[in-house]
Amino acid sequence: MVRIPAMLALRELRHDWQSAMCFVAALAGVLGPLLIILALKNGIIGTMVGRLIEDPSNREILAIGAEQHDAAFFAALGARQDVGFIVPATRSINTSANAVRHEAQRKLERAVPLIPSAAGDPLIDGEAVAPGRVWVSDKLAQDLSVSAGDTVDMIVGREVDGQRENARRDLQVIGVLPPEIWPRPAIFLSLPDLLAVERFRDDLTSNPANWTDPVAEPETYASFRLYARSLEDIGTLSAHLAEQGLQSRPRAENAALLLSFRRNLNILFTAIAALAMFGFWAAMSANLRGMVERQRIIFSLFSMLTMPDRQRCVIPVVQSLALVLGGVIATLIIILPFLMAINATFETAPGESVARLYAGDVFATLVLGAVTAVTAAIWAVFAVRNVEPQEVLTHA
Amino acid sequence: MGGLRLSSDAPDTVLSIRNLGIERAPGFFVVIEELELSAGETIVLDAVSGAGKSTALGLIAGALPLTDLPDMLHLIGGVTVTPDTPRAEFAGPDKLGFVLQTNTLVPYLSLQENIELPVRVAGQVPDAEWQDHLIRAMGLRDLTARKPGQLSVGQRQRASVARALLGQPALLLLDEPVSALDPANVAEVEGLIVHLAAEAGSAVVLASHQAQTGEFADTPRADHRLLDHQGQSYSIFSTAGRAAARVA
Repeated sequence: MVRIPAMLALRELRHDWQSAMCFVAALAGVLGPLLIILALKNGIIGTMVGRLIEDPSNREILAIGAEQHDAAFFAALGARQDVGFIVPATRSINTSANAVRHEAQRKLERAVPLIPSAAGDPLIDGEAVAPGRVWVSDKLAQDLSVSAGDTVDMIVGREVDGQRENARRDLQVIGVLPPEIWPRPAIFLSLPDLLAVERFRDDLTSNPANWTDPVAEPETYASFRLYARSLEDIGTLSAHLAEQGLQSRPRAENAALLLSFRRNLNILFTAIAALAMFGFWAAMSANLRGMVERQRIIFSLFSMLTMPDRQRCVIPVVQSLALVLGGVIATLIIILPFLMAINATFETAPGESVARLYAGDVFATLVLGAVTAVTAAIWAVFAVRNVEPQEVLTHA
Repeated sequence: MGGLRLSSDAPDTVLSIRNLGIERAPGFFVVIEELELSAGETIVLDAVSGAGKSTALGLIAGALPLTDLPDMLHLIGGVTVTPDTPRAEFAGPDKLGFVLQTNTLVPYLSLQENIELPVRVAGQVPDAEWQDHLIRAMGLRDLTARKPGQLSVGQRQRASVARALLGQPALLLLDEPVSALDPANVAEVEGLIVHLAAEAGSAVVLASHQAQTGEFADTPRADHRLLDHQGQSYSIFSTAGRAAARVA
């Protein structure tokens, strides 16, 4: 039965509200800076560094030079746990269209890079490319004034006996990649479409009339588009490629540095938080113990009035929990405007902020606070258990 | 205060004590050699200041650590009191009421909440009619919402009496219950205590050094003697062979 002791605990806090407020203020003094640091960590690491880390482009491993990779090579690489995505690619000389035209808008873009894609492409969030169905980058979409559902005309050229010869193909745009994913002009297309471009340029039997007809897959590919499953996998995957005698480099050279920065900042924050929480815990523990001492005669009276030990011990625990709850609420009331001021002061990219506090952080603070409150009350609980009923008889 | 009779004749013994003692200070013992009370009986512990009257009440209430004495017996309402007996078994509001000399009230509860506290702690609901009667009788009717800090010492003392009596205890212990009152009010409050204790059917043990006059002037006293033995001092209370007063 905790109703009576809980009521007594809260009534005592209300009665001695000035002491309670002092304690809440002291808690806010510890918790406030801690939550501000956490918000800054979230803002800087979680959104800025985090964005760099989470950007799938940074997981790309770029193949250097042209090789001859057969189906077994791709099967073996695709089966690795550290590989997130792989698709064969042609020689880099063939990975561009001479021009792409949007006839309806009378717009044309020259030398547009062609990037092989397939189902599971980490850059594409939507329907996978297929022969004749492509994604375009935001830059190209703007240059050509196209959007999903439009059709563009891809023009691929070659010279035969000094004569210029062009092949054309209609491509339906099924999606536009956001600029943060791919800031330059590009078309993401299926491997058969890319192979058709290569074949038209390299094979004279391919002509503007038949160049897009299905043909047998080549035995080898000159290159590939490869993404590690995570940033942490880049190291092992690069090492594996090097063991195979393949030259490669990660697109994000500083990925390891970012990871290390994030890890170190997390360790630093955890250490600061742990130290602050220990300090708070010690202060809370001493304060609660002091409260028992100030209320010693009343605890003795409760014992005299037959209140069992377990009920008397509820009192400092409830007071501790109430003070921590009050402290967390007071802290939030104080720091939220402060965080808004920080975010208003420092300019960031749209959707990002320098200081950010998540609901999970507040929840975790409450849970951690509750654990701290209960454990900090242990000393006080032992003190209450040692208060004897005789003390109320003998005190002056 | 009439109807005297020997407590040993009483069929409904409320309190039975034999050889209950404590070493109050090094070499100084307070001992209750024998004390037996039946329902409705009253006995006064009257001795000089420092003789251990309050200590004797603390012993009766089972609130003090005991010195091991031979042939020890401590029964309240038929329950054997030992250091391991949960207080609720022998000191609940219907068994034991204790008016402390210090009149300690919980400072953050109202007077009414203070009066109800022992009953509430026991998980019971106060008898509203009896509670109202007590509060009226003690002249506290207009003060029930006040905190102890807003009351005079005398008002706190009367509130302590009401708190002790609310559960209609079988045994009421009074430690100098009128010491803080104006002399003009002493007789009235003593009369109220006697009257209300009688209504509650409580046996009463009163510790007082100022009961030579007033309502308790004729109430039987427990024997008190001081004994020096082998370098130790003993302050001994006993009712052996004495009659207690039966409250009418």
